[in-house]
Amino acid sequence: MQFLKDLLHSKEHLFLKGGKLEKFYPLYEAKESFLFTPRTVTDTNVHVRDSLDSKRLMITVVIALIPCLLFGAYNVGFQEAKAAGEAVDNWLPLFMNGMITIMPIIVTSYAVGGIWEVLFAVTRGHEINEGFLVTGLLFPLTLPPTIPLWQVAMGISFGVVVGKEIFGGTGMNVLNPALTARALLYFSYPVQISGDKVWILTNPEKMVDGFSGATALSVAASTAPGSTAGETLQAFSYSSFDTASLFYGLIPGSIGETSALCILIGAAILILFGVGSWKIMAAVAIGAAGTAFGLNALAGPNLPGILSLTPADHLVTGGLLFGAVFMATDPVSAARTETGKWIYGILIGILTILIRVWNPAYPEGAMLAILFMNIFAPLIDHYVVQANVKRRMNRVAS
Amino acid sequence: MEELFSIATKAIFIENILLANFLGMCSFLACSKKIDTAVGLGFAVVFVLAVTTPVNWIITEYMLKDGALAWAGMPTVDLSFLQLICYIAIIAAMVQLVEMILDKFSPTLYNALGIFLPLIAVNCAILGTSLFMNTKGYGFVQSTVYGLTSGIGWLLAIVGMAAIRTKLQYSSLPPGLRGLGITMIITGLMAIGFMSFIGINI
Repeated sequence: MQFLKDLLHSKEHLFLKGGKLEKFYPLYEAKESFLFTPRTVTDTNVHVRDSLDSKRLMITVVIALIPCLLFGAYNVGFQEAKAAGEAVDNWLPLFMNGMITIMPIIVTSYAVGGIWEVLFAVTRGHEINEGFLVTGLLFPLTLPPTIPLWQVAMGISFGVVVGKEIFGGTGMNVLNPALTARALLYFSYPVQISGDKVWILTNPEKMVDGFSGATALSVAASTAPGSTAGETLQAFSYSSFDTASLFYGLIPGSIGETSALCILIGAAILILFGVGSWKIMAAVAIGAAGTAFGLNALAGPNLPGILSLTPADHLVTGGLLFGAVFMATDPVSAARTETGKWIYGILIGILTILIRVWNPAYPEGAMLAILFMNIFAPLIDHYVVQANVKRRMNRVAS
Repeated sequence: MEELFSIATKAIFIENILLANFLGMCSFLACSKKIDTAVGLGFAVVFVLAVTTPVNWIITEYMLKDGALAWAGMPTVDLSFLQLICYIAIIAAMVQLVEMILDKFSPTLYNALGIFLPLIAVNCAILGTSLFMNTKGYGFVQSTVYGLTSGIGWLLAIVGMAAIRTKLQYSSLPPGLRGLGITMIITGLMAIGFMSFIGINI
């Protein structure tokens, strides 16, 4: 290691000001941070010293995503084999098969996004931020396994450039870049990212009877008036969606979002290391469960059947939990004040359920609800701060 | 009731007068630098919209439409060619009213809004809403709800934009994008966010 470090540092002069490769300093700096600890220390007076820098923060999120990633790979393989009517007992080939499918998606996302990141870092002279490691992994995990690679490249380009870099890079953007990327794909190419055909890799020659690649949410959305969404989910012939199987996540869906269990492991990691805000996660869950509970009471024979989907089912289906844990807690685009986090989270929960229930075109609301609240997070913060200022003024005055 | 709710969600989210129809852009871009100004202008627009849309509906229904003057004994008269000019006159009168009220009760806001307050009269969002109301064939109550909620949609958009622009002071934008450039891009991104209820069908 020392050898590598010396080799790296012996070339440092080339990248410093006046050096031949001065322009490429961000690349050198990235390599140094990636392999070792950055050597730059503060040279002014007292600072709070904490080992949690942005490198550690971001890498913790990546670690928290790994259970979802691994399970996602297994699930992709599992669904493919099941749709083809093959044996699903041996997990290893299923896992490998899934890996072969999702690895190109992740590599494309990292490579294309990384090129933009480096390009902006070099031309604008800022450092390459580790934040991209999170965006580049979050984005593929929200996509269906059948997504064409060129769309992955296009989405991540838009997310990184328009969603983040034009604002000046990590920490200055308004919307979550991964969600911006996904929203672009969703509105530009809805056929490849929604509907019943994209969630499972299929081979048209080998299909089991009664095959349907519908996600749990679109099945719930198709509930006939008069029966409850829970019954419809259970009765679904191809793969029964009871609450337990939705929780464990061997169901069709986006690569990383299906397993509530793995997401909760990720959430535990984020909360344990103080990286993700438990307030936002809790607030989203409370908002969503409360709204679902209220709609349950409203459900009647004349209204859409999805109103009767129970709060628990709402929480474990679709992207709600994944969004709540990994997207809504993005420290840059979320509300930053503590009270603001509760308001922000609860509104995300409420909006998600409302979109799910009342938007027949798209039975998934988490992505759009979070984007919508990203827009209003600065406003929430502003009013929370104003309220605080007012309270303290009153205290001083009295 | 359900119909009114549907009109309201449509006007606020899906067919947001600003973010889906891109009407009322000029004051949106110019007055969204500070949150307080944006809130003031937003509420002024809400007020003007909520008043002018139903008033314009009454004017159309009882004076301008083909045969609308039947109550005055003139069933063959068609004054619909006067529609635009009447609408503008009503809007200008309302804006004058708002201006006088603001000048009296909130001189700070009156000064902060400056030229953009009288310019509400030519804010295309206002005229646009009245014309949309007309082409959509709404009744009186629907028009009132539609006017009010379009205003709320516009208010939400400008206030959200003002908060974002305040936050952007801490960003390092490329020099070429500072000011209007980035505002246009954010408007586009906001429009994506507001599309969350698209396809809604109540």
